[in-house]
Amino acid sequence: MDGLYVEGITKTYGSVTVVNGVSFHAAQGKILGLLGPNGAGKTTILRMIMGITAPDRGSVVFRQGSSQMEGIPFRDIGYLPEERGLYREARVLNILLFLAGLKDVPKQEAKERALMWLRKFGLEEYAQKKVEQLSKGMAQKVQFAAAVLHKPKFVVLDEPFSGLDPVSQEQFKAEIRALASSGAAVLLSSHQMNIVEELCDEIFLIYKGREVVKGDLQSIKARYGSFRIDISCAGDSNLPIDTEQVEALEKLDQGRYRYILREGVPPLEFVRTLPADLEIHALSISRPSLHDIFVRVAQGGASHAEHLEDRPLGNLA
Amino acid sequence: MRNTWKIARWEILRNLTNKQFLIGLLITPLIMGLFIVVPALLERLNQPVATTYYLVDDLGVKDTLQALLPENIILEQAESGADLERLVQDTKASGYFVLTSDFITSGQVDLVYSDRNSQSMNAVSRGLTALLQQLRLNLSGVSPQELAFVTAPAQVRQVPLKEELEPQVMHLAVAGVFTMLIFFLIFTSGTMLMQSALQEKRDRMAEVVLSSVTPNALMQGKILGHFLLGLIQLGFWLALGLPIAIAFLDFPILEALKAVNLPVILLFGLGGYLLFSALFVGLGATMEDLQSAGNAQGLVIMLPMLAFLFLGPVMTNPDGSIAVFASIFPFTSSVIMMLRSGLGAVPLWQMLLSAGLLLITAFITMRISAKIFRVGMLMYGKNATPKEIMRWLRYKEN
Repeated sequence: MDGLYVEGITKTYGSVTVVNGVSFHAAQGKILGLLGPNGAGKTTILRMIMGITAPDRGSVVFRQGSSQMEGIPFRDIGYLPEERGLYREARVLNILLFLAGLKDVPKQEAKERALMWLRKFGLEEYAQKKVEQLSKGMAQKVQFAAAVLHKPKFVVLDEPFSGLDPVSQEQFKAEIRALASSGAAVLLSSHQMNIVEELCDEIFLIYKGREVVKGDLQSIKARYGSFRIDISCAGDSNLPIDTEQVEALEKLDQGRYRYILREGVPPLEFVRTLPADLEIHALSISRPSLHDIFVRVAQGGASHAEHLEDRPLGNLA
Repeated sequence: MRNTWKIARWEILRNLTNKQFLIGLLITPLIMGLFIVVPALLERLNQPVATTYYLVDDLGVKDTLQALLPENIILEQAESGADLERLVQDTKASGYFVLTSDFITSGQVDLVYSDRNSQSMNAVSRGLTALLQQLRLNLSGVSPQELAFVTAPAQVRQVPLKEELEPQVMHLAVAGVFTMLIFFLIFTSGTMLMQSALQEKRDRMAEVVLSSVTPNALMQGKILGHFLLGLIQLGFWLALGLPIAIAFLDFPILEALKAVNLPVILLFGLGGYLLFSALFVGLGATMEDLQSAGNAQGLVIMLPMLAFLFLGPVMTNPDGSIAVFASIFPFTSSVIMMLRSGLGAVPLWQMLLSAGLLLITAFITMRISAKIFRVGMLMYGKNATPKEIMRWLRYKEN
């Protein structure tokens, strides 16, 4: 299958193992989200993929069509690093042309595409302006354009949404989706769960350099998030707790409660067990958000991560 | 190599469209030109002005003395007993003196001056000395011809043992100018390279560029780019400076240029550039900004200056052991060898040894710098300590 294959990469700085035996596959046409708290090793993984730092062990392979590429296919990769910047004193269009030139895009074509991207982001009148005249958000858009101007087959975005306003975030999301549907393998890192949850086809959750969870979102939720049932009811009702089915009952608010079901308990079956005379205003059944899983894992610390790792993950991918 | 070239072109274009660079390009020859033109102009302006001295001439020697003085000093006869001070002030003369009959025996004269023009006063003193000698010799019956014969200085010609060792003033002057020019270029290009590496980090561009080209290509591109920029600068300055120098300097410049040992200057200029550019670009990668350069980094920045410590010994004794050492030691050899080749023939073995060592050192420095560069370019927010740099050197490459 085409795409980016990361196999057991490990990176140690001094006595600290920053990335420990991480493997995943970013398929073409899909968006893979690399999630983890600050310092989990996300940027190090992306830098190893980009060949900026070398892994101590493991391999990174780019596969496209029948050919397995030797080394890093610079021309087919688009990269938006976490540390953002542009040459301050250079003009916007010139930077885009320079970076496109490094990717071997013919000059005329590069110019057309650069202007197209600037138009898309409403920055066409900044083409001849110097970078120092751009706002931070504008500069980030120019960087994004620079990363994808050459229509890369592999797109690596390190925290692409950080520092963007909601409107720009939506714009970026749409563009990233468009990249994937045009056949690129997109790998993005983030700590913003809500965005990743909406955008990514698959996620890879990392904590302290180790894989914690990976797979497509629904199967992860099925695995790590038992159902929760939120109920709004009149007064301070005495809600029953059947410890067979219920792991916890939380009071969210005046008259609002949350049941967290035990794993494998079908939600409808549980709802039927609620007292018939309960005066319910609203009732909702949901899976935990990625955010909840993330926080649980991150707060659970290393022992939790190891505990999770010990569990058979089954066929999630 | 194509990527190296693209980076080089970007560096060149970026600088050629940068105001600071262009201003520097113009200001530098302007400053250098001022150093050449202003003294020359001053020299011309400083043509001796006519100065007048009043003389009370009891001895009747005014014409004799006038003949012994430079043309710009004019003697005016004054009556004895006149108000000489008044006279000098009214006519804006430079001073007066009285020659009485005592002069021949005592040799004493008071030169009373109104403005202290040491040049003309010295001339008057010399004239009076010559006059005194004449007067005294006249008394003892010696003729002026005899006097001239007796007082003529020895004429010493310095003749070298072998023809080829003839001191070539022209060679030396041109070698000196070229050495300075090339040293200046090496130093400015090196500093610019260092700043370029710093800028890459400051603007957080290193990672983006490194996702398209290898660190080696980036480093080589920068070095090549600044080399070409240096040539552009040199060409520009020569085109601007040569006509001015020819117009203002009393020196056969075109003749002298033909005498330049071009291969030596090219070889050692290039070698020196490669060595110091590699050093500076690697250095730039270890720093956060120029102001925060640590002690060790400051020392490295000063390294090209090392050659200047040897300038004195080399000039006085171009074949001495210090000169030989300094022209072989790689961190001083580029400058010193260019200079020595202007001072006279350098033995071939020294030339070859020096060139070989310089190129090998440049190559090794390049390799070390490349390792430092690839790690340092991605380090933000602090200066690297020597310990950290040592650790980078041990990292394996891709």
